[in-house]
Amino acid sequence: MINGRSRGIQISAMVGTIALIAAACGSGATPSPAASAAPPSAAASAPASAAASAAASPAASGAASAAPAPSATPIPSAAPSAVSAAKSFAATLGHPGGQVTVLAVWGGSEQTQFLNMLKPFEEATGISVKYTGTRDEPAVLTAGIASNNLPDVAGVPGPAQLQQYTASGKLQDLSSMLNVSQYKAQTPASYVQLGTVNGKLTGVFLDVSAKGQVWYDPKVVGDLSANPPKTYPDLQNLIKSDVPSKAQAGWCFSVASGAASGWPATDVVETFMLRTYGPSVYNQWWQGKLKWTSTQVKTAWQDLGQMVSQSYGGVNRILTTNFANAGDPLFSTPPGCLFLHEASFITGLGKFANEQRGVDYNFFPFPAITPQYANAVEGAGDLFGAFHNTPQSAALMKYLTSSQAQTLFVAGGEFLSDNRNVAQYPNAMNQQLGKILSSATAFVFDASDQMPTPMQTAFYQGLLQYIQNPGQLDSILSHLDSVQSSSYGG
Amino acid sequence: MTSVAAARPAARSYAGAFRRRLGTLPKHVVVIGLMVLWLVPTIGLFVNSFRPAAAVQSSGWWTFLIHPSQLTLSNYRYVLAQGGLLPAFVNSLFITIPATIIPLFVAAFAAYAFAWMKFPAKNVLFVAVVGLLVVPLQTTFIPILQLYGTFGLNGQFLALWLAHTGYGLPFAVYLLRNFMGSLPSEVFESAEIDGASPVTAFFRLALPMSVPAIAALAIFQFLFVWNDLLVALIYVGATNPDNAPLTVILANLVSSLGSGWWYLAAAAFIAMSVPLAVFFALQRYFVRGIVSGSVKG
Repeated sequence: MINGRSRGIQISAMVGTIALIAAACGSGATPSPAASAAPPSAAASAPASAAASAAASPAASGAASAAPAPSATPIPSAAPSAVSAAKSFAATLGHPGGQVTVLAVWGGSEQTQFLNMLKPFEEATGISVKYTGTRDEPAVLTAGIASNNLPDVAGVPGPAQLQQYTASGKLQDLSSMLNVSQYKAQTPASYVQLGTVNGKLTGVFLDVSAKGQVWYDPKVVGDLSANPPKTYPDLQNLIKSDVPSKAQAGWCFSVASGAASGWPATDVVETFMLRTYGPSVYNQWWQGKLKWTSTQVKTAWQDLGQMVSQSYGGVNRILTTNFANAGDPLFSTPPGCLFLHEASFITGLGKFANEQRGVDYNFFPFPAITPQYANAVEGAGDLFGAFHNTPQSAALMKYLTSSQAQTLFVAGGEFLSDNRNVAQYPNAMNQQLGKILSSATAFVFDASDQMPTPMQTAFYQGLLQYIQNPGQLDSILSHLDSVQSSSYGG
Repeated sequence: MTSVAAARPAARSYAGAFRRRLGTLPKHVVVIGLMVLWLVPTIGLFVNSFRPAAAVQSSGWWTFLIHPSQLTLSNYRYVLAQGGLLPAFVNSLFITIPATIIPLFVAAFAAYAFAWMKFPAKNVLFVAVVGLLVVPLQTTFIPILQLYGTFGLNGQFLALWLAHTGYGLPFAVYLLRNFMGSLPSEVFESAEIDGASPVTAFFRLALPMSVPAIAALAIFQFLFVWNDLLVALIYVGATNPDNAPLTVILANLVSSLGSGWWYLAAAAFIAMSVPLAVFFALQRYFVRGIVSGSVKG
């Protein structure tokens, strides 16, 4: 028995070893062992061609909508003119061929839209774009920077990381890759400023989102698009007169977001800071030059406290509901709330994704508190930088920042551009949001995202604590002061 | 009287059987109840993988009982076509199979040596190998990436095979050494007397007798590598997405703000199919006692 078995094992061991040696040799002989498993061209073109066929033939999208569409919001296809414009721009970049690796946080429908934008570039230049999307991007980049294993082009998590990566010498100066004067002419100065470190442009925004918007259901509150509340007291009066006759509460609000729970509340505090005290106080605050116990910051927290007290479902719902579903009661019958404070990206999340924009929901920018800061915009966005300066990555960066590619990018409906020459959005609402962003006179970036990590974490925690126990405001703020004094190195 | 006497034993035996069955009934109810409880989340996930996105978002999976017509294959269709899951599935196999076989072989050799051969500093070496169990693999990323960078291995399958071999070895050596150490020493002594070299003893005795442990280990290592996201992302994902395994593609079905999670159920069942097959294929080795009676040989 042993003999028979052991012979069997021996044979299988030999077969296994031979297979292993063969596999190892194979990988040594050819640069990419993927060739035997999955032809690179097939892997790269599979999503792109699927997207292309959806974009190219209206029949395909018609068929998709006739069958129960798996996606709640089918991605609108770009106008053929936009595609050909992008392709003819890409044709000016030459035909170097080769490939370029790209790393970013986009997945799902975002990834599809990004790859849709890249399709004309790949066709015109012969460069194949190898895209990896992961929400663990910061971890991958941190390890990559330390070990010099980096993609050619990558999304940078935020301005703080942009400074860090530029300081470490890994990010390329884009002035050698882009037509900088053209980029600056098409982009508001505040965005260019955020991508510039020590006079070097190392990051560009590929998309931006407008924070501090107020969302509502026109069927409940009435159409406010022509005549939105001008000031914050006006908005409060509206809440006083409409609650409880039109909805159970003034606001919808919730802050749960996994490990980052609390960030939606930071946006509210930031809105109040910006609208009340303007960009320079706002910037001093996240730079650590303004104390948390100062009157300004404390007042902004108390304003948040007022919003919490006017919120649907009370503290429990605020703390336990995912931010994506914060606005769901806007659409319930009877309506749970009148307004939701959230960034422009909420339109793809929660019940918003299934409702019709402009009909079931609309928005207005958060009203003025101090009149002179009425036009300041707080935003966030995805910064991109290049880690390698190759002909392929330079061509890609030129293409990504062009208004033609940006127009194609926003056509998917999920992204907004800061490029002034992007004139064509897939709907009126995005058009208006895009205009707010590209015409912003004072654009500030999300404050909490620019704080050092310990400060940001403490900010999140402090807000969760404050929402639970508003009475502890002073002790929370003085704790944040102590974090501030220790976390801003130098 | 007699009839009563005759009837009594029969009645008693019926009652006994009934009592016995009654006695085991609560046990069965509890076991079945626990099994159902245990399976409910998986069943829910399975049902949700067949429900359209809007339904998944707005109602619980059990509502399919009321509207069975809503069940659809569209999630699977989307995931397989648009999500680019198929090439990644092949990549996953290509990564996982060698990354399971290599450490098993190395560990089996090492375990045999640690268990039955005599060489200096044997115990110190064994403790050092087992001590590596406590090193978190995350701390190794940067030095290994640097090393791979020198040899141009980043982004290659070989990088993952080597990495998973390294990460899997301490536990594999530990488990196999303990198993081989518990084999009856008479077997090896008599083999030695018969003139068997250590190599013969390893291939003809230690290896065949350790098949249950090796099979168990194969399952562990296979599942670890198959389900791994971080290691693949760090060594391969950033620079060569063509070689990315299933987990990378699967995680990326969700957008950066969290929409698209309704596809994950379908994707998860596709990803689970292989580990399930492996488990059921190797499962019989858990039951079969190969060691028993082996001394007779």
